[in-house]
Amino acid sequence: MKILVVDDSSAMRMMVVRTLRQAGFGGNDVEQAEDGAAALEQIRKSTPDLVLADWNMPNMTGIELLEALRAEENDVTFGFITTESTKEMRQRATDAGAQFLISKPFTTESFEKVLSTVMN
Amino acid sequence: MGAMTSNRETWPTVIDGFDGITRIWDPRNNLCAAKILPGEYYVTRQHEIITTVLGSCISACIRDPLSGVGGMNHFMLPGDTSKSLSQWGGGECMETRYGIAAMEMLINDIIKQGCRKDRLELKLFGGGKVLAMDVNNVGERNIEFARQFVRAEGFAIAAEDVGGPHPRKVNFFPRTGKVMIRRLRSLQTQAIVDQEKSYESDLASNERPGEIELFD
Repeated sequence: MKILVVDDSSAMRMMVVRTLRQAGFGGNDVEQAEDGAAALEQIRKSTPDLVLADWNMPNMTGIELLEALRAEENDVTFGFITTESTKEMRQRATDAGAQFLISKPFTTESFEKVLSTVMN
Repeated sequence: MGAMTSNRETWPTVIDGFDGITRIWDPRNNLCAAKILPGEYYVTRQHEIITTVLGSCISACIRDPLSGVGGMNHFMLPGDTSKSLSQWGGGECMETRYGIAAMEMLINDIIKQGCRKDRLELKLFGGGKVLAMDVNNVGERNIEFARQFVRAEGFAIAAEDVGGPHPRKVNFFPRTGKVMIRRLRSLQTQAIVDQEKSYESDLASNERPGEIELFD
């Protein structure tokens, strides 16, 4: 399985990758992108099985990435990992076709719970 | 607009979302000051002070020199003493998620005001070893995390005053970038330590799986 982690903070990307490993998803091919625009390029070349994206990022935000992907009829499994999650954000995420949202700071347990559900 | 006075009606407006932060009048500087407590942060576009008192906690003062928008946080990592100092930072230790979240929230809110991340100027303060019997060296761990985070994110540290045995009062002027540090006497240490301890136990008791939501 291929997982793409999209976050403008490299410290946060490292943390997500480590948490994936601790949640039992370490055996997968994990790639990284530093913003929505870079992620969109990468996904166009090769669609992963799962995208884990931050919401607030320069160049192209996480929600803009998701909306761009759905506009291109790409239905990759997509979840947000974000510090901010207002009602409006959750609504926009659902409308755009996101599968889940995890709030930061997150734990290994939250990754286990969500990923075991969406990846089955 | 007239000059700022102790009358709150003359104080600059607060960015949405920061209404919960207490502001006080600073007669010495003739400016209002947003006073942040452990776990809080504040961002402003205005000429005002952001102030806090640090024991072993860390504050990052971050600003965009072009627009004068800036902010400050106040955080610590809960003290898991089973980890060696070298394991801190860089995502190698789960406790650092609190620090990463504190830094990220501050940086995101500054960027939302229209500032570019690569233009931001960063200063670090705190991480004192304020109690002689603090064998866990919480302050040093906090400093180590902050430095590793800053390095990983590609920021340069424009200035810092960290470590040492003193608690500190920090006054940050985001508009100019000036930071004034006052090292506090040991008389005040216990109250600061108590406040940080209560923040740390809040972190520990709020230990819950990061909130999750599965959409249909």
